[in-house]
Amino acid sequence: MPKIENPLLLGFYAYFVDKILSETSNIDEANQKLRDLGHEIGKQIYLNTEIVEKTKDSVTTREDVAKLIDVVYKILYDKKPDDVDMKTARGSVRISDKECVWCQEVNLEGMRGFGYCEIFSGILETILEFKGVEAKVFQEMSRATGAEMCTWNVRLG
Amino acid sequence: MSKDLERALSKLRFDDQVLGYSLMTKVGRPFVSFAFPDELFPRVKDSINLYKKDLRLMTIDTDKGLVVLSPVDNNWILTVLYIPELQLGLAIAKTKNVLRLLEGIELPPPPEEFEESSEENLQVLESIAINASAVEETPTISGTVASYTPQTITKAASVPVVELSPEDFNISTTTIPKRGPQYSTALTLDSEINSEMKSLYRNFGFDVLMLVDGSNNVTNIADSMFQPTGRVIDLLKWSATRGIIIAPRVVEGSAEQTESRSSGSMGKYVKCPKFEGALDKVSGDDLNIIRLCDGKKTPEQIAEATSLPMPKVMQTLAKYRKSGLKMIGRTIK
Repeated sequence: MPKIENPLLLGFYAYFVDKILSETSNIDEANQKLRDLGHEIGKQIYLNTEIVEKTKDSVTTREDVAKLIDVVYKILYDKKPDDVDMKTARGSVRISDKECVWCQEVNLEGMRGFGYCEIFSGILETILEFKGVEAKVFQEMSRATGAEMCTWNVRLG
Repeated sequence: MSKDLERALSKLRFDDQVLGYSLMTKVGRPFVSFAFPDELFPRVKDSINLYKKDLRLMTIDTDKGLVVLSPVDNNWILTVLYIPELQLGLAIAKTKNVLRLLEGIELPPPPEEFEESSEENLQVLESIAINASAVEETPTISGTVASYTPQTITKAASVPVVELSPEDFNISTTTIPKRGPQYSTALTLDSEINSEMKSLYRNFGFDVLMLVDGSNNVTNIADSMFQPTGRVIDLLKWSATRGIIIAPRVVEGSAEQTESRSSGSMGKYVKCPKFEGALDKVSGDDLNIIRLCDGKKTPEQIAEATSLPMPKVMQTLAKYRKSGLKMIGRTIK
């Protein structure tokens, strides 16, 4: 049996992905809907977790953003992201996760461009927004569509 | 006035991707500058003179970085120097953001005589504005506002008020751009839009547009040109703002824009079991189900084909998860 972490979460998420895909007519729109779902969830997470206490009041530098991402990872997934890259591109931070929780055991074919784990983009975007950081987050690659790992790009505005 | 202008310009000053900027007169004399390398002024001036008639938005690649020129109104041109690594589209978008801030500000025409690049010029400008408003409205402003129509680009250096910015379009690797109303004009040599495209993208624009036929998606276009998709997307977004191509708009959570989304629909999303293990390990009873797990049929279709009840099919699928059965998500037309 494939080993899955948090089957309850995956069950819910798969349900939402199915629902969103059945209601949208193209991939960009579906990605956006998943991010919107993340925005909603982000509020809940921000209210109900220790993110507030464990992060600085004002997040200003990219290093602060990277730290915040670590805290979010710790609280949501109890682990560290595999990489938080601040150097390659100015003005953006890239998060890599080789074992992303959202797309465990998901195999998509012929759905290039679909960010299965876009929900996390929305969650992070909202948390950053509450911390006063204007950023656009989107998923660049997902294991669900065949990539080796999931990556997100946090573009700081 | 001066406050607002300062605010708009400070957005540039604190952007770490901006190396310098200069607010110039329409003939290319620097009026207020910040960290803009002096040696670039002659080059910028040349370009301004070259496109005097219909300067809209122009980029110049220099060894210092990427220079974006854009007219603010009939009298003023904003020139920004960005770091060389910055994507063209982003540089243009950033410039447009500042232009948007400048929109509400009534800039008087420059004084006849002034000291170039001086910071005090801001105050000079302010006093002119105060004097001018005392004598009713300034001719510049009425000129810009009244003559704003998309076609009269030449006369009114139309501030991009209603104009769409590349950021307003949602183009990804899967988007299929279609030809727009300006498509043929853009490909006509010496047309205004063609020259604008040339100044921004050289021949790259032409090459990409040739591949826009309503069936190629962005990935195909980029692949067949051996170009990075990002670059193609930048160009297409720009083309979309000029009506050269039709591309989906960014949805701001409202339903009204959904109609304008024209990229290909993706069909129904289904999950199909696919068995990749060894068939000889499958017990005889289950074989007729597992054999159909080719990643193309849904469990419902398998149930139908085998005339078995759905629970039985699901049970069998679950049983073989550990020996190589995967669920493949795909979209079918």
